[in-house]
Amino acid sequence: MASGKMRNITFAQAVRTALREEMKRDERVIVFGEDVGQYGGVYGCTTGLQREFGEERVRDTPISEMGIAGIAVGAALAGYRPVAEIMYVDFLTHASDGIVNNAAKWHYMSGGQFSVPVVFRSPGGGGAGYAAQHSQNLEAWFAHIPGLKVVVPGVPRDARGLLKAAIRDDDPVVFIEHKAHYGFKGEMPADEELIPFGVAEVKREGTDVTIVSWSRTLTFALEAAEQLAGEGISAEVVDPRTLQPLDITTICESVAKTRHLVVAHEAVTFGGFGGEIVAQVTEHAWESLDRPPLRIGAPFVPLPYSEPMETFVIPQVSDLVARVRAYLG
Amino acid sequence: MAGKDPARLLHFYEDMLRIRFFEEKVRDVLLPQRLFRGSSDLYIGQEAVAVGALHALRDDDPVISTHRGHGHALARNLDPYALFCEIMGRTPGTCHGKGGSMHIADAGRHFVGENPVVGSSAPMAAGLALACALERNDRVVACFFGEGALNTGAFNEAANLASLWRLPVLFLCENNLYAISVPLEKASAITELENRACCYGIKGQRVNGMRVMDVYEAVSQAAGPMREAAAPAYLVFDTYRFEGHHTADKQTYRPDDEALRQFRERDPIHILEREMIEDHTVDLDTSIAYRDRIRAEIDDALARALEAPWPEPEEALVGVYAKGEVE
Repeated sequence: MASGKMRNITFAQAVRTALREEMKRDERVIVFGEDVGQYGGVYGCTTGLQREFGEERVRDTPISEMGIAGIAVGAALAGYRPVAEIMYVDFLTHASDGIVNNAAKWHYMSGGQFSVPVVFRSPGGGGAGYAAQHSQNLEAWFAHIPGLKVVVPGVPRDARGLLKAAIRDDDPVVFIEHKAHYGFKGEMPADEELIPFGVAEVKREGTDVTIVSWSRTLTFALEAAEQLAGEGISAEVVDPRTLQPLDITTICESVAKTRHLVVAHEAVTFGGFGGEIVAQVTEHAWESLDRPPLRIGAPFVPLPYSEPMETFVIPQVSDLVARVRAYLG
Repeated sequence: MAGKDPARLLHFYEDMLRIRFFEEKVRDVLLPQRLFRGSSDLYIGQEAVAVGALHALRDDDPVISTHRGHGHALARNLDPYALFCEIMGRTPGTCHGKGGSMHIADAGRHFVGENPVVGSSAPMAAGLALACALERNDRVVACFFGEGALNTGAFNEAANLASLWRLPVLFLCENNLYAISVPLEKASAITELENRACCYGIKGQRVNGMRVMDVYEAVSQAAGPMREAAAPAYLVFDTYRFEGHHTADKQTYRPDDEALRQFRERDPIHILEREMIEDHTVDLDTSIAYRDRIRAEIDDALARALEAPWPEPEEALVGVYAKGEVE
């Protein structure tokens, strides 16, 4: 960041930038998945990579998520740094044998003889009209698995810096992007930047309430904070950026200042990762809280297709504004 | 025939005896004395496959195994002492007690590990082979699995990818006729298992898995061309497990005398002994001397393992991630 020059890019371009930079830096970085080659990925995150790095390092796979995950694990065990794209988070269920049973366990189970430096990139989330089987938010599942690291970037700069760190990490990483957010634009340093795991960022400072949020909902929280400011409510927005490892310290420090905690995510509230954050804050910083924390998430339903229903289920900016206002009222 | 080389036959014999005597200790000492937890899946009856296959391969060819992998590990020269320790959860075990009977691994010997999730190892083998292909080394990845794994999606995805991408995976299917209790003919639409990969352009070959020379020849012939031009190959070994699926198996699914009859007719160690005696490679005294020596070696390994230290409970918290501890 020496020059301090910034570029305005989309989330998808940020992902692609990270892949390209890391592939240039380390020839052990290989990319594969469905449609990632000539086509550039269904969301354009690998555009041009096959032309630049060749068909050996950027491979189209058949529709074989179990195979993709297993091959990624095997290649990682042999010293490569595979970045496997699983086209939708929902299809991680197919890939989960490789991710959950093998990638997460091999280092521990072998007594530390092997490491598994693999990244599973996958777009999650709704808002694009893909209905119940192409829109889920499963980050809490993977954050629950010892051995995995879970990254949930919300803005382009973080997507690039965290993906680079993920590729260089010696452990398996589940890197969840948001499919309705690939066109979202933001500032990114022109120079290389790595963002370490387990370091939350206060995305907006405030004094009345802490809103913890990630992925696309983070940008909703920032918009909501802007609107609340107009009503005289000062919201601090904290982005954990990685759920495993989780920087609970920064969250607790913020709550100590604001004395109010809201966690907002797109996943179903019940059993969602918001529950873990609320539990940890109440355990570590109970005396900081002036009232019980609030979780904002989706109701306990599969995501419906029709737009009015989908919009109703996914927490929107207006929902965040109304619920934070009511929470403080 | 290379398989008739007397020194090689004796080496096969020694390695097969080592597996047999090791597994008999697990069955006859560790099990009744409750010296291991969970279950242990014995390789007794299938020794010719592991020994013939791994003698035909190089020591730097990666191996990925199954829940029934003690035999593969020993045939890859892992230390019986380290195996006993791992099975009993002791610190000097191959994985310091974190893995147990179903997760033996030894990076230094390119024994990537047992994978007891049936079918799960096939895509991993393809990934290990992708690394070989990218490095343009001439290694071959040995992927052992039982016939039950053929029915998983994972095997089919891996076979297609390995063939499509020309990956040097040697698929080694040990057909021991049962997936726990379900016999082959109730689990597979066809019983000619050599045909289960041909739809992916991988030629299959059926091999007598009870005759170690046959296994050795078949694997040698399959692996040679794979080193020249990376591509997968697939062999099916007819074998049989003389014991239950695991040590707690009541074996209600097969006739009482079936295992005994199979043992009398098909024991791979007896088959090898008989042929060596007929060929005058060994006489009875030599074979007894081999048995005594290997038995003493296993006795010694077990005696030392029984004295081996236990891990501190808190070691459970170490080594979840490659760097750093659990927070």
